[in-house]
Amino acid sequence: MIERILHAKRYSLVVDKSLCVGCEICKTVCPREAIKVTKVDKKLEEKTQKSKIDIDLEKCHYCGICNSMCPFGAIKVYVDDKNVLSVVEKKSFPELIRQIKVNSSKCDSVCSEYEKLCPLNLIKVTFHTPNGEAIKNVSATEKENEKSEAEINIKQESCPCCRLCDLKGPSDAILVQPIFYGALKINEDKCPEGCHDCLDVCPITGTLYLSEDAKKVKVNELFCVYCGACRNVCPVEGALDLQRVSIRHTSIKSGAWNKALEKLASTEGIAKELRAKSAVRAKDAVVRRFEGRKSE
Amino acid sequence: MTVKPQQGKTRGNTVKTRGKKSRIGVFICHCGGEIARVIDVNAMEKYAKTLPNVTYAVSMNYPCSRQGQDDIVDAIRKNKLNRVVVAGCSPRLYEPLFQRCVSQTGLSPWLFEMANIREFASWCHSDNSKEATIKAMDTLRMAVAKANMLEPLQPITLPVTKSAMIIGGGIAGISAALDLADMGYKVYVVEKSESIGGKMAQLDKTFPTLDCSICIEGPKMVDVGRHPNIEIISFADVLNVEGHVGNFNVRVRKNPRYVIAKNCTGCGECRDACPIEYPNPADMNMGVRKAISVPFDQAVPLVYTIDKDYCIECYKCMDACGARQAINFDQKPEEIEINVGAIILSIGYDMYNPEDMEEYGYGKYVNVLTGLELERLLLAAGPTGGKVIRASDGQKPHSVAFIQCVGSRDIGRHEYCSGFCCMFTLKHAVMLKEKYKDQVDVSVLNTDIRSGFKGYEEFYNRAQKVGVHFVRVKLKNRRVIENPETKNLTVYAETEEGKPVRVEAEMVVLANASIPTSTTKELAKMLNIPLGKDGFFAECQPKIRPTDTEMPGVFLAGACQGLKDIPYSVAQGSGAAAQAATILSQKAWIVEPLVASVDKDTCSGCRVCESVCGYRAISVENVNGKDIAKVSEGLCRSCGICASACPIGAISMPAYTDKQIVCQVEAVLKTGAKQ
Repeated sequence: MIERILHAKRYSLVVDKSLCVGCEICKTVCPREAIKVTKVDKKLEEKTQKSKIDIDLEKCHYCGICNSMCPFGAIKVYVDDKNVLSVVEKKSFPELIRQIKVNSSKCDSVCSEYEKLCPLNLIKVTFHTPNGEAIKNVSATEKENEKSEAEINIKQESCPCCRLCDLKGPSDAILVQPIFYGALKINEDKCPEGCHDCLDVCPITGTLYLSEDAKKVKVNELFCVYCGACRNVCPVEGALDLQRVSIRHTSIKSGAWNKALEKLASTEGIAKELRAKSAVRAKDAVVRRFEGRKSE
Repeated sequence: MTVKPQQGKTRGNTVKTRGKKSRIGVFICHCGGEIARVIDVNAMEKYAKTLPNVTYAVSMNYPCSRQGQDDIVDAIRKNKLNRVVVAGCSPRLYEPLFQRCVSQTGLSPWLFEMANIREFASWCHSDNSKEATIKAMDTLRMAVAKANMLEPLQPITLPVTKSAMIIGGGIAGISAALDLADMGYKVYVVEKSESIGGKMAQLDKTFPTLDCSICIEGPKMVDVGRHPNIEIISFADVLNVEGHVGNFNVRVRKNPRYVIAKNCTGCGECRDACPIEYPNPADMNMGVRKAISVPFDQAVPLVYTIDKDYCIECYKCMDACGARQAINFDQKPEEIEINVGAIILSIGYDMYNPEDMEEYGYGKYVNVLTGLELERLLLAAGPTGGKVIRASDGQKPHSVAFIQCVGSRDIGRHEYCSGFCCMFTLKHAVMLKEKYKDQVDVSVLNTDIRSGFKGYEEFYNRAQKVGVHFVRVKLKNRRVIENPETKNLTVYAETEEGKPVRVEAEMVVLANASIPTSTTKELAKMLNIPLGKDGFFAECQPKIRPTDTEMPGVFLAGACQGLKDIPYSVAQGSGAAAQAATILSQKAWIVEPLVASVDKDTCSGCRVCESVCGYRAISVENVNGKDIAKVSEGLCRSCGICASACPIGAISMPAYTDKQIVCQVEAVLKTGAKQ
């Protein structure tokens, strides 16, 4: 946590270490280059630790861009104890769109499996009677009780939308769309045998896995959130190739976002987005003209 | 030391020597006893008459008085004198006066010589009258010997550009700029920050009247902005100054604001659209400003500035600005050259950061403030809307302790007294007491309260009357300790007698020293003017030339010459303006004809003189394929270093030629004076 206390205002930035996975997104988007991601030295016989983030007290000016972009909701910026981001309010920076649809009515007694599926423990399933009484002890008999209703709560602000719950879930109660789209490839020629540092730090179970002979790491992109935590710890340059193509975010017209997007995704990413925006504008213009003509 | 022979009377007439044979008049001054008390002036008079070519000698009480001057004129006319020697005080102060007196008779002022028998004899040998008189005679003999060799010289005239530059737009600069502009001269005000106004624009109230500071400065700032003769060049740096009195060439860099000044209406819509905030230095970093903003609402010129350090380039400001199209992210620094006849330096001062004086805990304890920080809290338009609150808990303090002389009057740090801190502390103490009455306890830990000047002592009495406690303590062994839980502070000190003093306070305010501003050294180097021991610009003469610098045409105003408060800064600004006008009002500026002269045939272009000249007056130029040293008449200060350094004797100093100096040496060595 870092703070800036002025007589007129108080700013603070809190990093929740338990939520932070040591990815590189905040560092990439920070306009002041105030965030440093450092690899933690590997200890013998131990699992690789996730990278650490450090925020430069002098450089940070509490704009909240990292807050708005963190897929894990690990960074929170407070102004006078309120988590209101002026960059988002003034439409200078977008928010990530987490498209998570929860339909608890489709849920039955097996729904408690969802809790176990979430690699980040964000899902909480509670059962209650139709009267609203909470059923604490979900024993086998009560599970069969048709009258019990399940309710699924997801801590959405910290959800990177890996879709494990959606794709592996026992029912259709949760539908999720990814935030980041992209490609993650492991260059087998460069990837050192026996190293599984990336696997150790990957926050999403099942995205990376060891090959059958336990020598090489393989990728299952279905669940990848393209956060880049793996790239930060990879010891060989070029062994792990990560590219983001597009990001699901609130619509915005901002130079700062274009800049961030260029760093996060690629120039093509911006080009695509700008094309889409100009198409919308062109459409709007046509509609306006058309309506204008109609009224004449 | 610039002599302006009385115009009309002497023009075209100055070469007059009245015949070839010297007829020297010697006038010996008593200086009201300063000289006559030690030196036997009658013996001097008799002795003078024995010296070669002395036709007339007299001793008189005050040759510098009106009567004395008339007597000299009469004597010159009656005795047909063509050389004049005054044996008296230092030529540094009085030579110009006597030169003017001599030139009244139509004689060239350069046929005058002075013998200093006060500083060199009567003052330094006041215990030995006999020896002192002998020394005075030796000195006089030398002067007479030189007088024989004097030659009339022709004054040098320089063209004058009728405009002035004021560097620094604080209250002193504003005062100077308005005065000069009202006299009809074009004035350029170059200001480093975004707005003129200086420190005064940061103040809430002024002592001892408790007038609202910006209410009295604001209209002046607006006047400067609107005056047809004034051009404000703000957010700019002075890069280089060339030239000399009457014709300076100043290179200025306008830093990019990323806002086109002529399109910006100052509406502030861009500020409202901007998402980024950063601590506002004009608010002593206690409040915030946007990445596109003005430092304060009354800013002149009212042009917004983007701080690229903080801007995230979202371009929301451009959308807000719309059709006015005042925002241009591609603006580049722009360098311009300005010609002016005179320069006034009014760059003000900085506040000393007391962080390195650990005993006071500034920077470590959040409830320890400096005076200027408290000023911002008291200001209704300040970061807290006029509420004095503690940073630690946002609550009003119930007790405030002021500590005086933090960093000043401190040998090893800043030996000088910062001058106005006692008064601003009194102001703060009275304001706190009058605002919060009995809810706040105010103590001032001081060593002396310095309340000189008009109305200040009365204000001190007012502070005592409203119930401010004054505790007299030693400058040494003071320290502040914070209670880590309550963030309250305890001040420990000692009385003059060594008794311990302990003051509990919820807020501590330090009267930190004021120091020369960061650009002082740089500008001093650029303009080739000396700095005093305290680091401020050195004036030419501390008593009677407080606004002049060693560099003719460059004047000082305000705190950059030495710390002073608002009325004195305003007065000095006007003074410097009047000084500058003495140059700007001339058709041509007349320089003493004592400029080093280079014999073009002898000069080998070896550049020794160029390297030794302390005034950057000599440059070697190629004339018809030959390198020859050239002396700038405006820059040469006649110090003579080049002449003595020249290995082949190609440079000579008029009125101090080798011949003239050698004859003086011969005079002092050959004949010992006998009484």
